Amino acid sequence: MGFLRCLEEGLAVELGIDVRELDSHAVVDVQGEIDVYTAPKLREKLIELVSEGSYNVVVNLERVDFLDSTGLGVLVGALKRVKAHDGTLALVCTQDKILKIFKITGLTKVFPIHDSVDEATTARG
Amino acid sequence: VARVELEIPSRSAYVAVVRLALAALARSRGLDEEVVDDLKIAVSEACANAVLSNEAAGIDAPVTVGWIEDGDRLVVDVGDRGEVYDPNDPAAEYDSQGFSTRSLMSFSLLSSLADSCEMSPRPGGGMTAHLVFRR
Repeated sequence: MGFLRCLEEGLAVELGIDVRELDSHAVVDVQGEIDVYTAPKLREKLIELVSEGSYNVVVNLERVDFLDSTGLGVLVGALKRVKAHDGTLALVCTQDKILKIFKITGLTKVFPIHDSVDEATTARG
Repeated sequence: VARVELEIPSRSAYVAVVRLALAALARSRGLDEEVVDDLKIAVSEACANAVLSNEAAGIDAPVTVGWIEDGDRLVVDVGDRGEVYDPNDPAAEYDSQGFSTRSLMSFSLLSSLADSCEMSPRPGGGMTAHLVFRR
């Protein structure tokens, strides 16, 4: 496999996505860097969850090292999808460098952002 | 004046390469970790915009990245060959449901995280994002 192919298929950035059920919520644990290359993978997973009937979703960003506008666009898209089913989409994030991205783009007013997954799954709305 | 130039294929996988390379350069020049984080996001935004702009125009031209250190200023230029537009007349900012579009969020991040960010038409077609960071 050539270097460029190798780079595109693996060396670039990894994004880990794990889904679990907790208190009637689908909790999506994301790990790695969410950028223009990896964001489509997260989008597909979130679309899949909603199409399978999960309308109360928590996206855990505690192990995310990097987030850009394409990742934000995916989260906004997922919010629109769950809202169409009267659902909720909450985020878990305590890292200053990631919270800063939500503050700059005004999304702290759009997403409920919690300090822990437990807090997110027990919160109303 | 130190100058570094990179050229990447116009594909999303390569944006991380620029991000890592420029973060390493910035660290080696003694920039604070907070400035390095800001630079990583701003450079990724500019590169993602360039890749998406080329893609939208159906042009498979490389994305060019220039890094210039000039005293206390670090200048990063990111060039594409996509559509030329008037930077004072941006595309739709909100969608039909009132949510910010990705391009508006990208613009917010670029203008907040860089000390200045200017878009200009590039000779030969496309646009250049001109980002300035101060030490």
